[in-house]
Amino acid sequence: MNLYQPHLVRIEAITDETADTRTLKLGFLDPDVASTFDFRAGQFGEYSVFGAGECTFCIASSPTRKGSIECTFKSVGKATNAMRGLNEGDTMGFRGPYGNHFPLDRMEDSDVVFIAGGIGLAPVRCVIWNTLDLRDRFRDVTIIYGARSVSDLVYARELEEWGARPDVRLWRTVDPGGESADWKHEIGFVPAIVEKAAPKADRAYAVVCGPPIMIKYTLPVLERLGFPPERIFTTLENRMKCGCGKCGRCNIGPVYVCKDGPVFTAAELAGLPGEY
Amino acid sequence: MMTTKSISRDGLASLVADLVGGGTEVIAPSRAPDGEVEYRRVLRFDEIVWSDEMPRSSLKEFFLPPSEPLFSWRQTRSDVTIEPVPTRFGPRVVLGARPCDVAGVAAVDAVMGWDYRDELWFGRREATTLVSSACGGVDGSCFCRMVGLSPESEKGADLVLFPGDGGHLAKAVTEKGESFLSAHAARFGETTDEAKPVADANAGLGGGVAPADPAAIRAWLSEHFEDPMWESIALRCHGCGACAAVCPSCHCFDIVDEPEGLLEGTRRRNWDTCQTARFTVHASGHNPRADQSARFRQRVMHKFSIYPAKFGEVLCTGCGRCARACPAGMDLPEIVSKIAALAAEAVR
Repeated sequence: MNLYQPHLVRIEAITDETADTRTLKLGFLDPDVASTFDFRAGQFGEYSVFGAGECTFCIASSPTRKGSIECTFKSVGKATNAMRGLNEGDTMGFRGPYGNHFPLDRMEDSDVVFIAGGIGLAPVRCVIWNTLDLRDRFRDVTIIYGARSVSDLVYARELEEWGARPDVRLWRTVDPGGESADWKHEIGFVPAIVEKAAPKADRAYAVVCGPPIMIKYTLPVLERLGFPPERIFTTLENRMKCGCGKCGRCNIGPVYVCKDGPVFTAAELAGLPGEY
Repeated sequence: MMTTKSISRDGLASLVADLVGGGTEVIAPSRAPDGEVEYRRVLRFDEIVWSDEMPRSSLKEFFLPPSEPLFSWRQTRSDVTIEPVPTRFGPRVVLGARPCDVAGVAAVDAVMGWDYRDELWFGRREATTLVSSACGGVDGSCFCRMVGLSPESEKGADLVLFPGDGGHLAKAVTEKGESFLSAHAARFGETTDEAKPVADANAGLGGGVAPADPAAIRAWLSEHFEDPMWESIALRCHGCGACAAVCPSCHCFDIVDEPEGLLEGTRRRNWDTCQTARFTVHASGHNPRADQSARFRQRVMHKFSIYPAKFGEVLCTGCGRCARACPAGMDLPEIVSKIAALAAEAVR
């Protein structure tokens, strides 16, 4: 077995998040792999449908929940469309975990602010559940999540669950015009809602994932709120093939996103050329 | 202390016969059916070309084939079975390789081995003994001295052949080279000769190619990611990637599935290059390297800044093939010497 040969995984459950976004729950077929597989929040993998090829996403479930992993993907290309064509019980490939991770150890005893847009909630969801499963190790938890419209919000059931928890402050928003008649939450772009939520920066970390435009306008808001760039984390999603520092595709300046990332601080991003 | 022996021309001929007869694959510069010299599998000594003609492609393809299977799959209903590919390979000797080409193999070792070990690369590496031959240089595109090597450099070789009295001197560089000398002791003789210096073709042909300061180049590049120079250099570049294909150290690859019918197929890795437009395109359609100047800059940066930052050396052995292969006349030796001059100026 070589580095590029995936583990076989079985689709245990399928959840449609939006019209084009789906979550798969995957169980390892090899019992040894199933019992030993471990990862850290923020790491990613190469998922594949045999015949269509591989695609790269974060592991969207939390490492605190053993036995299976989940991924959330949007159908945009050959491999993701083929993944969407699979049914419960079908077999696909997974190799990983690869990359660095969110420094949850360092974030303990602090406030944590999660900010996500659209499908960017997938990598953040992994850290959210990791944090909530170890809830007493963290201080205030704030989640600010937005999408273009109500029908573009992913993890709807989990949003309800987080919204109902007394130990989580949840802000949900949709872009102006994206609200439905019965929408009871915020209307506005994510950066504006971050400004309105105004999480305290003192002893706090922020995790920000979403479309580049959202990140671009959210970082200045966080800085105005007093978050130093060293305590703002995001993930980069450059195109990859190997996932492990060989194929030469994901370089940004001196950085291999697959090994030095995908998790970077805003301070680290500021020192990189804009090739992402 | 590594051993140096001598070997005559007849000795080399017998060595090739011994190796081939014993089931070892021998790779050497040899003439392809179209008349060009390239590294090829040979069965007889007289197939080997011992001239100054530069083999048209590097040794890379013997360790990272242009297209190689990673595994095969077969599907039955919901189940999939995977057929792995072997990661152990039969014994192989590369004979008479250019110093720049064996150095290229050593440079790629670093990438294939950091953290994650590429068993396909190292399986072939371990099965192969690299015997290089000190080189007379070829033409004005050679620039090994500029990147810190030389026509006599030993980097990457297990054994180096130097011209000597009545044949060659064979100098072991690694334990594998030592074992090779002992295993074929009958073909090698004792010697007290000194290796004769090969003609220093680089100095003459390359118009006085001087070693460049890699640290100064790296420092300059790190300050000049944005520089109008990149656009003016890349104006000529077609983005065809011929430079990367012939390069001994370019190693980027793609991974693709090739179905054979509906139920089975092979996942392969194929050579790829940062010079093509689609190399970095995201699923969204966004391309972080949207124009050719960014793509050519990446090639220079990877060789002279990104790789050195990780592994301490440069990812270029000065073979000059990129300059010879380019249909548009892009000239890496010239570009590197220009950057070296700018870097030297910046230091001053």
